[in-house]
Amino acid sequence: MQTEATPAQADVSELDLVRRCQVGDTEAFDELVTRYRTRVFSMIYNMVHNEQDAWDLAQDSFLKAWKSIERFRGRSSFYTWIYRIVMNVTIDWLRKKHIKGAGAEFDDAIQLRQVDPASKTVPKTEALPYEMMQRGEIRARIEQAIDQLSPEHRAVILMKELEDMQYHEIAEALGCSIGTVMSRLFYARKKLQNLLRDVYENV
Amino acid sequence: MKTFEEKWTAWLDGQLTGRELLEFEASLPDRAAAEAERAEARKVGELLKRELGARTLTNEEFFSHQLRERIEQETGERSRASAVRRRKNSSWWTIPRLLWMGTVSLALFLVCTFLVMQNEKPAEESQYLTQILNARVDPVVSPDATVSIFEVKQERVTVLWTEGLQSLPADYAAK
Repeated sequence: MQTEATPAQADVSELDLVRRCQVGDTEAFDELVTRYRTRVFSMIYNMVHNEQDAWDLAQDSFLKAWKSIERFRGRSSFYTWIYRIVMNVTIDWLRKKHIKGAGAEFDDAIQLRQVDPASKTVPKTEALPYEMMQRGEIRARIEQAIDQLSPEHRAVILMKELEDMQYHEIAEALGCSIGTVMSRLFYARKKLQNLLRDVYENV
Repeated sequence: MKTFEEKWTAWLDGQLTGRELLEFEASLPDRAAAEAERAEARKVGELLKRELGARTLTNEEFFSHQLRERIEQETGERSRASAVRRRKNSSWWTIPRLLWMGTVSLALFLVCTFLVMQNEKPAEESQYLTQILNARVDPVVSPDATVSIFEVKQERVTVLWTEGLQSLPADYAAK
């Protein structure tokens, strides 16, 4: 797993930083945030597909981590521990959003995909290079496919495929058994294979 | 005992080894189809990694700054909340404490009063005073007679001052 830490930062062990945070050192926490903010944001973004929501959820996750850092006992890595918080916050948010049924129509990511490029209402801009446009379309297709997975299945597949996390790490982050992780991976993969077959066969 | 889904996932990720691997591969009805599906699953994984992998956080410093502010705000709110809680607790203690103090003071007052009243015995009246008070001056014999009494209770002294008496009444005699 890669972090944003520079060699100088890496010298300070994560556990030292956590210990300092536990006695109220906000600078130590700031350093932990610097190490993990991009990964956390990226993970959340891939779950929710909206930059502003991902930003807010990442903020909420780190704030929650700060509030409960006293309870961190160091039995797992800080990364796994914070991922558990991130997943709880994000999955809760996705569930609430799903229950409310609102918001999706205002999601800018979805709106952009729904805009017809030939429409007269689209402002004239510099033409995007073909490759970029194609890539944007592929990305949009992938996001659409991920949107069709349950929050738990999204979390499992993204942690496995993007973060290369081990089954036990994913289980720890989601607070479930390894068997459940493997089972969720099975169904998530099957569904994505069906939804994205034409994409990965043509790329 | 692993389920089929668990074994399939482990096989796909190359986590099955030894006897477990041989048993699982032997149990597959169509090995070629399974291999094709494994290849497809790997393609999906690669696609996700390639297309979703790098999502940069713009304004990283602003992100940290905003978070610092929220933490400071949170810390301030928490200390204010604990101060309010402390104040609430102290006011909660004041009323019982006042009641308790009041009760104790009242009890002390009653005890002291009782003790003081027990120690204070009524002064004995002078035998002479009784006699004087009982005495009668005959207005016919002594029309201008006046009798004054001066009494100092603490020293148990009573002075009888008589004026205008021609003679002491017959029944006024120290017995």
